[in-house]
Amino acid sequence: MDNRFRRTFTLVKSVLLATALAFTVPQAYADKPAVIRIGVAQQGAGDPPTFGGSPAATVQQLQLLEKEFAADGIKVEWLFFKGAGPAVNEAIADKSLDFAFQGDLPSVLGRANGLKTHILLESGVRVGVKIAVPPDSNVQSVKDLKGRRVSIFRGTNLQLVADNVLAANQLDERDLRVINLDSASSLAALSSKGIDASVNDYHLYKLRDQGLAKIIYESQTDGPQFTRQSHLLVLDDFDKAHPDVVQRVVNAFVKGAQWSSDEANRDALFKLWAKSGVSYASWQAEFGKDSLKSRNSPLIDPFIVARYKAVASDALKLKLIRQPVEVDGWFETRYLDNALRTQSLEHYWTRYDAQGKPLG
Amino acid sequence: MPSTRPLPRLFSPRKASGPPPCSCDAPVKPERQSALKQRLSAFNWRGLVLPLAAFALWWLVSALHLVKSGLLVSPADVARTAWQQIQSGALLRALSASLAREASGFVIGTAGGLLLGAALGFSRVATRLIGPTFDTFKQISLFAWIPLISVWFGLGDMAKVVFLSLAALLPVAAHTCDGIHAVSPRYVEVARAFRYSRLQMARFVILPAALPSIFTGIYLALIYSWLATLGAEYLLVAGSGIGNTLIDGSEQFRMDLVLFGIIVVGATGWALNALARGVERRVLARRTGVSRERAAA
Amino acid sequence: MSKAIDQWAAITERAASVQERASAASERAQRRVRAVVWHLAPWLLPAVLFTLWSIGCARGWIAPQILPPPQQVFDTLYDLAISGDLARNTLVSLQRVLVGFGVGALAGFLIGAALGLSRTVEAYLLPAFNALVQIPVLGWLPFLLLLVGVGEPLKYILIAHAALVPVTLSTMQGVRNTPATLDEVARVFGYNRLQRVVYIVLPAAVPTLATGVRLAFTKAWLALVVVELVASSEGLGYLIVYGRQLFQLDLVMASVVIVGAIGFAINRALDALEARLRRGQPSAFRE
Repeated sequence: MDNRFRRTFTLVKSVLLATALAFTVPQAYADKPAVIRIGVAQQGAGDPPTFGGSPAATVQQLQLLEKEFAADGIKVEWLFFKGAGPAVNEAIADKSLDFAFQGDLPSVLGRANGLKTHILLESGVRVGVKIAVPPDSNVQSVKDLKGRRVSIFRGTNLQLVADNVLAANQLDERDLRVINLDSASSLAALSSKGIDASVNDYHLYKLRDQGLAKIIYESQTDGPQFTRQSHLLVLDDFDKAHPDVVQRVVNAFVKGAQWSSDEANRDALFKLWAKSGVSYASWQAEFGKDSLKSRNSPLIDPFIVARYKAVASDALKLKLIRQPVEVDGWFETRYLDNALRTQSLEHYWTRYDAQGKPLG
Repeated sequence: MPSTRPLPRLFSPRKASGPPPCSCDAPVKPERQSALKQRLSAFNWRGLVLPLAAFALWWLVSALHLVKSGLLVSPADVARTAWQQIQSGALLRALSASLAREASGFVIGTAGGLLLGAALGFSRVATRLIGPTFDTFKQISLFAWIPLISVWFGLGDMAKVVFLSLAALLPVAAHTCDGIHAVSPRYVEVARAFRYSRLQMARFVILPAALPSIFTGIYLALIYSWLATLGAEYLLVAGSGIGNTLIDGSEQFRMDLVLFGIIVVGATGWALNALARGVERRVLARRTGVSRERAAA
Repeated sequence: MSKAIDQWAAITERAASVQERASAASERAQRRVRAVVWHLAPWLLPAVLFTLWSIGCARGWIAPQILPPPQQVFDTLYDLAISGDLARNTLVSLQRVLVGFGVGALAGFLIGAALGLSRTVEAYLLPAFNALVQIPVLGWLPFLLLLVGVGEPLKYILIAHAALVPVTLSTMQGVRNTPATLDEVARVFGYNRLQRVVYIVLPAAVPTLATGVRLAFTKAWLALVVVELVASSEGLGYLIVYGRQLFQLDLVMASVVIVGAIGFAINRALDALEARLRRGQPSAFRE
C-alpha cells in the first residue's frame, strides 16, 4: 500500500516537473534570421490582407521590405491581428513576432507588464478619434452619451483618447455602458443600431457616406491629448541578435515615410491605401487639410516623448496599469538617426516641442 | 433501470399497424407490397409539414417585402451565396480547416481521456490523488480557458488544438472513469471465482461492461469538440474556418452568409453525430442484453 | 529448578504480552497515519501544482506575462472584492444564467413532455426539432447577433436555448420510457389519462430528467461565458475580456477562478439533487 503510494507520488512528481521545465525552453537565434515577422495591430482586409492609413501601410503595400531583403533570401511576414494592439501584446509575450506596428496605449500596457521592446520610429502621428451615432439618433454631442451604450475597443490607442474626450465633458467611462467591440463588429453594431455610439477611426466615413451613421465628434483638432500615435517597435531579443537587420528595416520605413510625406504623391498615396478596402474619399476626409508631412513624420521629437509620457501617466491615473511606466530609455533613436543621415533627410520633417509647436 | 417496453397508445389511440397479438383470431393475409411502397408508407410525412410551412412563410414574407429590414434575405439569396461559396472553394477551405482542427483535437483529447479515465477507474490511489482535482477542473466552464490558452500557446492553430483536446478529454475521462466504477460487482465476483488475472478481468469483464459509458463519453466529446471548434474560431481569431465564416457574415451584416454558415454547421454536426452513432452501433452490436443508457445530447 | 523454569516462563510470557501490546499499538498508529494520509491525499496534487506555480514565478522560469504569480492573483481577487466590482459582475452573470436557464428548462420540460406523451405531436414536431438541434448553441450566436444586436436579449435567448435542448430531449426520453410495470399499476388502479401522467409517468421520468437538467446547466453556463466574452458590458466574461485587452493576466486568472468556483458550486448542488432523485447502484470499484 505504501509502496504503491510512493510509486504513484514519484510518477506524479516527475510528470509535473517535466511539464514545468517544458515552459523554459529558450529560443535560439541563428546568425541571420530566416524570416522577419512584423505584427500589425489591425485587422487586415482583403486576400492577401493589407491595410492603409500610415507609412507602415505604405511600406507593406509597396513591398519595400520584401525588396530590401530579397537578395539575402530573408522572407518577410506581415501578421495581422483582429484583436489589434492587445492581441499584438500577446504575440510579443509569446515571442512570435520580431517587430510590431502598434499604438501608444497598447505598447504602454505591454511595457507595464514587462514586455521588453524598444520604439524605433513613429508611423502615423497626430491621429484623432471619431464618435458616430445612428443617423436618426437624438445624441447631438458627447455630453448626450451619458447612460448610453457605447463601443470602445479596449486596450487600443482609441481608448485613452476616448477617456480624455469623456473627461473633457465631465464624463467617465462609468457613466456610459461601454461594450468592448473590435473595429468591424462595432461598425456592424452601429449599422444595425445595436449600440448608441461607436468610438472609431476612418472606417466611419464609409458608413457616413452610406447614410448609416452620423459623426458627431472628431477629436484631432482639439489638442494634443486628443491625438493618438502609432509606432514601429522591435523586440529586444531580435535587436540584440540582428542589429544590422534592424537598421535596414528602419531604412526602408524611413523611405516609406518620405514617400508618404511628399505632397506630390498625395493622390497616389490615397489610391494605394484604397486597396485596403477603405475608399479614396475616406482617406481624403481623414486627412482633410492636414499636411502629409505632419501626419506621416517618423521623428521622435519632444512632442512624441511628451505624448508617450502623458499616455503612461493617464493610464496610471485611469488604473489601466498598476505601476508607473518609465518612458525614458524606451526609445531607441540611433537607427532612425542613421537612416535620416544616410538618406539626407535630417531636415525634411519638422520637429515639434512638447506643446506641439514647431521647434526652430 | 428495469427493462422497458414501448408505451401502449393511451393518449392517441391509433389503429394497430402490426399483426394482431393473437394470430389465432383471424387469418392475416400476407400483404405483398413493393419495397419502395413499404418504405414510403413507413416514412413520417407529417414531420415535413412544419418545416415546409416555415419555408413557405419565409419565401412569402421575403418575396412580398412585408418586413422592411436589411436582414430579411430571401431563400434565393441564401442559395446564391451558397453556390458562390461552393464554387469559389471558400466552403471547402473553411470546412476542411475546421474539421482538420477538430479531428486532431478530438483524437488527442480522446486518447488522453481514455488513458486518464482508465487510470482513474482502475486505481483507487489515482482516484484519490487526482480525482477531486480533476473533478474541480472539469467544472470550470470550458471557454473561460480561452484567454489563458491564447496567451500560453499563441493565437494560431496550436492554441486551438490544445483547447479542442481539452474539450474532448474532459467528458471521455469522466465517463470512462464512471463506467469502470459502475461495473456491477457481481461480474467481478464471477470473474474472481473463475480466477481471472487482473489483466484478464480488465480485458474481458471490466472494459466490455464499461463500454456503453465510454461510448457516451466519446459521443459527448465529439459534440463538445465541435462546439469548441466554433467557439475557438470566434474567440481565437486567426486563419480560416466555418466559424470565421459565420462571424464574418455577422460583422459584414450579411444574413445570407450567416444562414448559409448555419446550414453548413448543422449539416456537419448531423454528419458527425451519425458517424458516432454508426460506430457505436457497430461496436456494441456484438453485445446482447445489456441495457444502454445514452445521455441526452 | 522448576521455580526457575516457572519464572522464566512468566518472564517470557510477560515479554510476549508486552511485545504484543507494543506491536498492536504500533499497528494502530500505522493505521491512523495511513488514514490521515488517505484523508489528505486529494490535496496533494493541488499543493504540488501550487508550489510549482509559486516557485516558477519567483525564480523567473516563466515570464510574468504568461503566468502571473499567485500572490498577484490573490491581490487582484481581493481588490475586486473590496471595490465591489466582483459582486456587481457576479450578480449580473448569475442573474442572466438563472433567468435564462429557468426559462429554457421550463420550456424544454413542456415541449419534451408534449413530445413524449403524444405521438401526434412527436410525429409533427420531432424531425424539425432534431434538425434544429444539430446546430450547436454557438452556431446561433452570429445569427442572433444580427437579429437582436448586442443587448441583454441576446444573452437570455442564447442561454435559454442552451438549456432548452438537453431538457427537452431528456424529458422526452424519460416520459417515453416509463417502465411497463408501473403502467400495469396504473391500469390496475384504473387511473385516467391525467392521473396516469401526474402520478406515474412524471415521477418515473424524474431521474432521467435530473440528468438532463444537470447537462442543461453545464451548457447554459458555457453559453453565458461565451456570450459575455463576445459582446457584453458587464459580467464575469466581461471581466475576463477587460483583463485580456489590458494585458492584465492576473485579472483574467482571478475571473477564471471565480467562474470556476461558481460553476463548481452550482454543479455540486445539482449533483446532490440528482443523487437524491436517482436510485443508487452497487459498483465494484467505488472509492
